[in-house]
Amino acid sequence: MESNINSEQAHPDVAKPTDTTTNKDDPPPTVPDSSAAADGNDDASPAPHIHHSRSGHLLDDSSSSGPENGADKDGSASSPDQNGDVSHDPPPPNLDEEIHLTLQTLSPDIDHFLITLSERKMVVSSQETLVGEMEEKKEHDEKQETEDKDEKNEDPISGEKEAGSREHKPDSEEAGPDDEEGKKEEEKEKQICKKRSTILMPEFVEKYVDLVDGKIRDRDSSSDGKGGGGGGKWCLSPDDDALFMEIVNRFSRLASSLNEFRSDPDHAHLVNRIGSIHQRAMSYLEDEFGFLLQEHANQQPVQEPDSAGKSSAKAAETGEGGSPLPESQSKLEEEKESPYPGYSEETVTNLRNIASQMIAGGYESECCQVYMIVRRHALDETLIQSGFEKISIDDVQKMAWENLEREIPIMTSIIKECASVHFPKEHKLVHSVFSNYPSLSISLFSNLSRGILIQFLNFAEGVAMSKRSTEKLFKFLDMYETLRDGFAAIEGLYPEESEGELKTEATTVKGRIGEAAINIFSDLEHSIKNDHGKTPVPGGAVHPLTRYTMNYLKYAFEYKSTLENVFREHSKIERADSTSRPRFEGDSNQAGGGGDQDNNQSPFAGQLARIMDFLDQNLESKSQLYRDVSLCCIFMMNNGRYILQKIKSSPEIHCVMGDPWCRRKSSDLRNYHKGYQRETWSKLLGCLAQEGVQVHGKVSKTVLKERFKNFNIMFDEIHRTQSQWVVSDEQLQSELRVSIAAVVIPAYRAFLGRFSQYFTPGRQYEKYVKYQAEDIENCVEELFEGNASSIARRR
Amino acid sequence: MPATEFQPSNFLTRISTRRNQITAMDPNHELELEDLELFQRNVSDRFADLLDHPGDGGLLSISWLRKLVDAFLCCEAEFKAVLIMGREPTQLTKPPLDRLMPELLDRAVKALDICNAVSAGVESVRHCQRLAEITVAALENQNPIGDGQVKRARKALGALVASLEEKDHGGSHYKTPERSWSFGRRGAAAAVKDRPTATFRSLSMIVGKNWSAAKQIHAMWANLVAPRGAELNGLALPVYIMNVVMVFVMWALVAAVPCQDRVGLPLHIQIPRQFAWAHSLNGLQEKIGEEWKKKEKKGSAGLLEEMQKMEKLSQGLIEFADGFQFPVEEEGKLEEVAAQVKEMAEVCRRMEEGLVPLQQQIRDVFHQAVRSRSEMMELLEHAGKISQPMM
Repeated sequence: MESNINSEQAHPDVAKPTDTTTNKDDPPPTVPDSSAAADGNDDASPAPHIHHSRSGHLLDDSSSSGPENGADKDGSASSPDQNGDVSHDPPPPNLDEEIHLTLQTLSPDIDHFLITLSERKMVVSSQETLVGEMEEKKEHDEKQETEDKDEKNEDPISGEKEAGSREHKPDSEEAGPDDEEGKKEEEKEKQICKKRSTILMPEFVEKYVDLVDGKIRDRDSSSDGKGGGGGGKWCLSPDDDALFMEIVNRFSRLASSLNEFRSDPDHAHLVNRIGSIHQRAMSYLEDEFGFLLQEHANQQPVQEPDSAGKSSAKAAETGEGGSPLPESQSKLEEEKESPYPGYSEETVTNLRNIASQMIAGGYESECCQVYMIVRRHALDETLIQSGFEKISIDDVQKMAWENLEREIPIMTSIIKECASVHFPKEHKLVHSVFSNYPSLSISLFSNLSRGILIQFLNFAEGVAMSKRSTEKLFKFLDMYETLRDGFAAIEGLYPEESEGELKTEATTVKGRIGEAAINIFSDLEHSIKNDHGKTPVPGGAVHPLTRYTMNYLKYAFEYKSTLENVFREHSKIERADSTSRPRFEGDSNQAGGGGDQDNNQSPFAGQLARIMDFLDQNLESKSQLYRDVSLCCIFMMNNGRYILQKIKSSPEIHCVMGDPWCRRKSSDLRNYHKGYQRETWSKLLGCLAQEGVQVHGKVSKTVLKERFKNFNIMFDEIHRTQSQWVVSDEQLQSELRVSIAAVVIPAYRAFLGRFSQYFTPGRQYEKYVKYQAEDIENCVEELFEGNASSIARRR
Repeated sequence: MPATEFQPSNFLTRISTRRNQITAMDPNHELELEDLELFQRNVSDRFADLLDHPGDGGLLSISWLRKLVDAFLCCEAEFKAVLIMGREPTQLTKPPLDRLMPELLDRAVKALDICNAVSAGVESVRHCQRLAEITVAALENQNPIGDGQVKRARKALGALVASLEEKDHGGSHYKTPERSWSFGRRGAAAAVKDRPTATFRSLSMIVGKNWSAAKQIHAMWANLVAPRGAELNGLALPVYIMNVVMVFVMWALVAAVPCQDRVGLPLHIQIPRQFAWAHSLNGLQEKIGEEWKKKEKKGSAGLLEEMQKMEKLSQGLIEFADGFQFPVEEEGKLEEVAAQVKEMAEVCRRMEEGLVPLQQQIRDVFHQAVRSRSEMMELLEHAGKISQPMM
């Protein structure tokens, strides 16, 4: 059943555009004729007979009333068609041309036929309401006039009417309703029914069906053989595709228009045949549609975008911040420029055309199914290539943090990629392919994206549920930010009314992560409060807790605005253990970095202040572990200094804590300093006091000896212990030394200057005057070094 | 919670007022026992209702599953009331609850994954629904039925049957997407042979690779031991009941809806018979277990009543389509087909009405489980903090 046969059949028809014009004299179409045609479903032999008997006028029509039309079409579109057919058609070119002529010239006829069919319907329906033969005719005529093809139109219609009446006359045994006016209403209605259910099928219809059948088989089978997996015929010749689409479109209309005659025994077989061919055409389109979709989707990822995706995920995995490398970013940019996920503009046009034809032909469901499945696979594939891995929530709970810590950046980078690249492209694609069917594209897009988004959300949920620990905060916040920004972008792709569910889901998960983050802070607070270590840090150095807390806070402040947000949105207002919960002030002003210790503190600033308070309290209690009050002061100074330095080095924290807090802290430090001076050095200075040296107006050598001895012992002791103490902040260290030197050295120098003469030079002098002022200075320089070696050196 | 038959609210207010009284007075063990009894009775009633009045669709139909999920949501809410409301959190950290609570929470996590897998399974049922709808659209109200319609229906049916027969997937499916969607060009002769348009099931696997519904059910069921002796009077019993209800509901969902890897799903979960509330649960699981036994050999899509019906109708329609020749003269044949199509349309309608709400309910279960878990965690943490020595 190839086009050759068709062409042979076509030939005689075309060659005989003769006698006919008077169709009133023509015999009505005979039942056997048409049924025979339809019977021979697979072999088109009957076609010629029909044409011999009856088709003349139609062809004649077309050649008389619409020759330009036919010729035009032929002229414009014949060459590609020719190309397509030549390969199959050995017959001489003139014959070949005649085939085109036939398919082409038949098209206007079919169009015409379709118009008359629809008119007929309208007429019938209008008849049903305001009956009246005359009116009907009038209306008829008007319509025909507007169509500008009066004669041609009238032919099938009147023919059909007659056919209707004649065929059924024998049954009804009544005079033709056409001839006799003023019959009963009832009869009229009967008549209407008959008109509706019967029609004179022009023979060109059958001819046309043959040709279309051939055409579709031709396309369908020629795409069969090609290299195993497929290879649609699509895109080989755009003009041919367009022509084919036109044929399919017309044929779809024909099929649906004629469907109402399916139970008419005269036409049932033809209608059946048309239905069958139509199904085949649709099925063919479905395959082509799937093929085009899949072919391009499969090729594309290998070429460029996913290498970029992969590397960005990798970068996020290895890099600290999770920001993709600039190189891969530029690649992403590049990829962004193409609006579709791997399809050329041309392919998209083809897809759109096919989709439109499938939908017009009533195959919307099939079309959508294919689209969904192929795109969903393609999207999954893309995600997998970006490093996406499905992890059950159960596994997330069991995963070691090191592993989960690696998974989170991969996931966040994938979500970002989806939000910025994949989903917008998918959105663009679906809206381009189904551009005429907005509601369809909306539902396809949301079905496609929903499954993937749910997976993201489930992962996030799993993460939020995982056992909390302070080190997880930053990854949690990354996740939070990604969900916030990513889903905001994705929501933009949905029409407002349908974004609801997604939004709620995203908000819920975001809330859970936010709560987890807040809980982490309260855990931190709790652990500071409950850090009851009993071992003092040697040398009064900065406590690890201080170090940890301050560095943690400093890091956390890189997420300041997010944290402000999180605390504002997800704090629970009250809980049983309210001391460890942020005191949330409902409608307080944005802290705005005012830094004042006002009541309009943001919840996050409140949390921060609380943590600092607890830290202070804890340090104070830790300082009590030192028996030496001086060391206690050094410890407080060290830690206070560390805290202050950290806060000052981070403008953000500084801003939140505020200047008054810092001033207070500084003044505390000064007090500790004074306390230290007093504790350590005022006793020593007692040795150097001028008072008491003279006994009865005379310098007492005994007292002097005592004084120097005491001074030496005390100073040695101070030097020995305090050079083991630790002040690692250089500035604080030098401040301390300077202040010590400033008190001790002048006093010692003066004392020495005044009283050293009383000792006998030599042994006695050396025994009591152990240090010169310079020695004292050197020793002071050795204080707070934190090492025992300096003492060893001296001893 | 749409169309919930059981409103837990009355129970909740009752318990909460009761608890307030309890805390106001001395903790009253009598009253607490009464609450426990009430909880047991409610559980028992709900499942008895599911067993005795499965509704129009019958056991394992969509509407029945929705009822089942509703029952679960209610039991869960009441359980939480019994367990948490007005209670000193430290009670939850004493033996045997110190062991039972973490186990319960762990089971809840596993249930979350099952919810996701089931939800994905429902999605694949929807895919089948759409294929069935194509069949119905092609064959419904066609007189006479033509070749085109039959071919169209046959194609959809082929894909439908392939989807129904598709084995549950493990995790490796996504390595070869081509396998499930290939456009091998057909020969002209084989135009309407079984050529699945595509399989959808593999797409909707959203739980991790190597994840298996059957294994999860096993894991949930393992070491679930009924309380004995003195434990029967304490909180161990409601925790046990909740565990059993959770495992049972998850098990039923997995059995009903196509789900990732169900190979080796336990046929039977043994619930001790001495408990009154266990009777109807046992009754239900025996029935479902029998169905599963029958069905498992064929390895098909799931026990969901509508899918089974769809499968049967598809077979009949495929037979009709394969033997089809235009025109069909036999009146009987046509009537039979028309009846089948009508039934199929009815199945589609029930799916259309029920699947999305069911999916939503399962998502509700997910969210409620997450919420409950975090509330209980919070309580446990709080209890932990209290019990820590203060400075």
